[in-house]
Amino acid sequence: MPTNALAPTTAAVSLRAVSKTYGSGPTAVRAVDQVDLDLATGTWTAVMGPSGSGKSTLLNCAAGLERVDSGRVLLGGTDITDADDETLTRLRRTRVGFIFQSFNLVASLSAAQNVELPLRLAGKRPPRADVREALRAVGLAERADHRPRQLSGGQQQRVAIARALITRPQVLFADEPTGALDSSAARGVLDLLRAAADGGQSVVMVTHDPAAAARADATVLVRDGRVEDRVVGADAVTVAARLAAMGA
Amino acid sequence: MLQLSWAGLRDRWTSFAGAVLTVCLGVALVQSSLLLLLASATADAPAGSGPVAQVRFEEARVVAVTVLAVTLALAAFLAVFVIASTFAFTVDQRRRDLALLRLVGAGRRQVVRLLLGEALLLGVLGSLAGSALGTGVVRVQTWLMVRVGLLPAGAGARWHAWVLPACVGVGTALALAGVFLAARRAARVRPLEALDAEEEPARVMTRGRWTTGVLLGAGAVVLLALSPLGGPAGGRAMAVCVSLLAALALAVLAPVAVPALAGALVPRGGVLGDLARANLRDEVRRSASTAAPLIVLVGLLLGQSGAAWSYTEAAVAQLRSTTAADLVVESTADADGALAQRLSAVPGVGSASSEVELPAALTTGSGETAFTGIRRVLVVDPGAYERAHPTSGSLQALRGAAVAAGPGALESSTGDRVGVRVGQVDLGPLPVVAAVPQAVGGGPALLLPAGLLPAELLQGSAVRTFVQLQGGSDRRQVAAALTAAGGRGARVSDVQDWLARSAQQAGSSDTSILVVVMGLGASYALIGVVNAGVVATAARRREFATARASGLTRRQVVGSAVLETWAVSGAGLLLGALAAAGTLAAVLIATASATGTASIDLPWPLVAAVVTGAFAVTGATSAWTAWSATRTAPVQLLRARE
Repeated sequence: MPTNALAPTTAAVSLRAVSKTYGSGPTAVRAVDQVDLDLATGTWTAVMGPSGSGKSTLLNCAAGLERVDSGRVLLGGTDITDADDETLTRLRRTRVGFIFQSFNLVASLSAAQNVELPLRLAGKRPPRADVREALRAVGLAERADHRPRQLSGGQQQRVAIARALITRPQVLFADEPTGALDSSAARGVLDLLRAAADGGQSVVMVTHDPAAAARADATVLVRDGRVEDRVVGADAVTVAARLAAMGA
Repeated sequence: MLQLSWAGLRDRWTSFAGAVLTVCLGVALVQSSLLLLLASATADAPAGSGPVAQVRFEEARVVAVTVLAVTLALAAFLAVFVIASTFAFTVDQRRRDLALLRLVGAGRRQVVRLLLGEALLLGVLGSLAGSALGTGVVRVQTWLMVRVGLLPAGAGARWHAWVLPACVGVGTALALAGVFLAARRAARVRPLEALDAEEEPARVMTRGRWTTGVLLGAGAVVLLALSPLGGPAGGRAMAVCVSLLAALALAVLAPVAVPALAGALVPRGGVLGDLARANLRDEVRRSASTAAPLIVLVGLLLGQSGAAWSYTEAAVAQLRSTTAADLVVESTADADGALAQRLSAVPGVGSASSEVELPAALTTGSGETAFTGIRRVLVVDPGAYERAHPTSGSLQALRGAAVAAGPGALESSTGDRVGVRVGQVDLGPLPVVAAVPQAVGGGPALLLPAGLLPAELLQGSAVRTFVQLQGGSDRRQVAAALTAAGGRGARVSDVQDWLARSAQQAGSSDTSILVVVMGLGASYALIGVVNAGVVATAARRREFATARASGLTRRQVVGSAVLETWAVSGAGLLLGALAAAGTLAAVLIATASATGTASIDLPWPLVAAVVTGAFAVTGATSAWTAWSATRTAPVQLLRARE
């Protein structure tokens, strides 16, 4: 069996020869093509690439949101490639968190209710103080009872981060978390991600913005579904130059 | 979970208000029909009424109970249909929200529980409101029934304590049942769908849906094929069920049938038409949800009324071809029972058949299987009857203590014995010695020879006398003499006039019953249509904003929405008419096999009212909701994602 061939890994996320194709026949698009990738625990990795390079699909495959066609996906050493829906649901409750460009808060719930939602869905009733603390950590202690539409974009994204972090997940997946924000709100969000990574959590972030990527520990450059390059500890200018060199 | 349900309700109140409204009205209608049915079934004849009046009261009560039972069945049927489809629709409108919950860790079972929790809240709210509203509806329904003469003036329903819990239970159960399948489907939503900017429409035509639709359609075809074999009464029952099954089949298959048909109805060439057609192709579920109640409404309404009208027409045509008379005398039976002799004795009269129709309690079978029902009997002079109705066959054996099976006989034939009781006169079991052919319009179950019943019993009953003139006699003179001989209030008519008049009366009584049975149900189905329209359009704010940002004026956006809705309504009406056509085809076949000539007649004013009503209601709903959904400037809507 191919799984036996895998070496034990301490990486937070490991992809082994992962491929994913959309559609079939002449219109088929190979979004992820034979990707091997290890993302170390407690690091923040940015994924960059031109539009349509397959970076979001890569993130979704790594997070178990999308089934891969071939290859294996390991999350904290657990093979989730063929996990059933129940296992993946449990995974989302406990071991991974998500942040998206469009915030994706439940519009009918207050900020505090949104934050405690993952725990409530897992059948736990979090102490009020924990929820307050989570909101305070993202600077929104005063906004606990506001509904999403009463908050600015940056504030909504910070609620989404608080919601993603309240389960203390091993890996935080972020797809263009600053894409809809102005630069000062974006900076606030990136600070929070930096703090999470420094606290030992792994962060995987898809972004278009070299300045955002520069805050990460490493940047993976993707084109046509393949990993083309990997930059460690580079500043925004270097990242932008590498991206430009790829023809983005 | 319940807290989340409650938050969901608060936030999406427009679509949920529609769901509550359908439960509320459905429960109100069912409760009202049920209470009236109970009141009617247990009513007593007014104190001091004579024996014949009591039997007449009994007979009227059977009619009222039947009409109410049919109304109740229809109301329950529509309630199940409208509530289930409304709830399923509101669930399908929320795939994005549900995907989001799945994304933050909700399991499939939790999604189902959440949706069922909402249905429970809505069902209880709607049922309570419906029970309260029902006390008002029962007044409207009583007024309608009294007005068309199906209930005596002063009739009213009494409240029963068990009705409230029963209604709340049933209303809630219906809401839960409606949501259950949709919830199971929704629970399979993939978490990733929360991220898609454009929501991927759910697959609408599942295998179960195809199977159900095809089975119902096949049932309709089988009934249509069997209808000529059922005899006059059985054929009619089958014909009526054809449109019921066909309408359900087409409603279930609406996601396939409606967009295709509606697309063909939109005029080609204009940009608004193109936009509307593209939307129809894309939003299959929305089109189907709007059209389905229309299909069922039109199918039932046209099918039932078309069958009633056509059968009345067939019955009158049959009566015309089987009656051999020149004049008809309508008068009142007198105490000495000598009316028939007096009319026969008028100079110029060749033959006169005096017939008195009475309600009677007839008992068929014996011992354990004995069954007594209130039916009509006709007191005749057998010889004269044979002459006035030449197709009746020989009634020579009908004399003394014997009866003949009448044109409306259902359960007795020559050789049986039937117990006959009229008022307090019990004639005991009498042998059936002859039978006249059954008529398509029914009629008296038995013919009784004159003299079997005492004259006092018949006194005051209406008598119909078919008169044949002798050759060469003056019609007008004989008519005048008959009027004089007929006694007080006698009326002499030409037989053709009389036939036309009785056809009209039968038609108007059919109309009254139909109005009572269908009127409230039809309003309910229309509310279902409006509701689907409101829910569908409210979810289209972004889509409208995009269209306006692409250069359409607000007026054009509203125009395109109305065009789309009208195309869907047109498709619904056509498919409903197709379902009704099934019943009409069965009626044609059945009447042709029963009378020799096929009869078809449609209540055209009703058809016109339904068509204009449907277009007016759906157009107005669509225009109003689209107008209010485009009130905000498009750029603001496009910017705000949440």
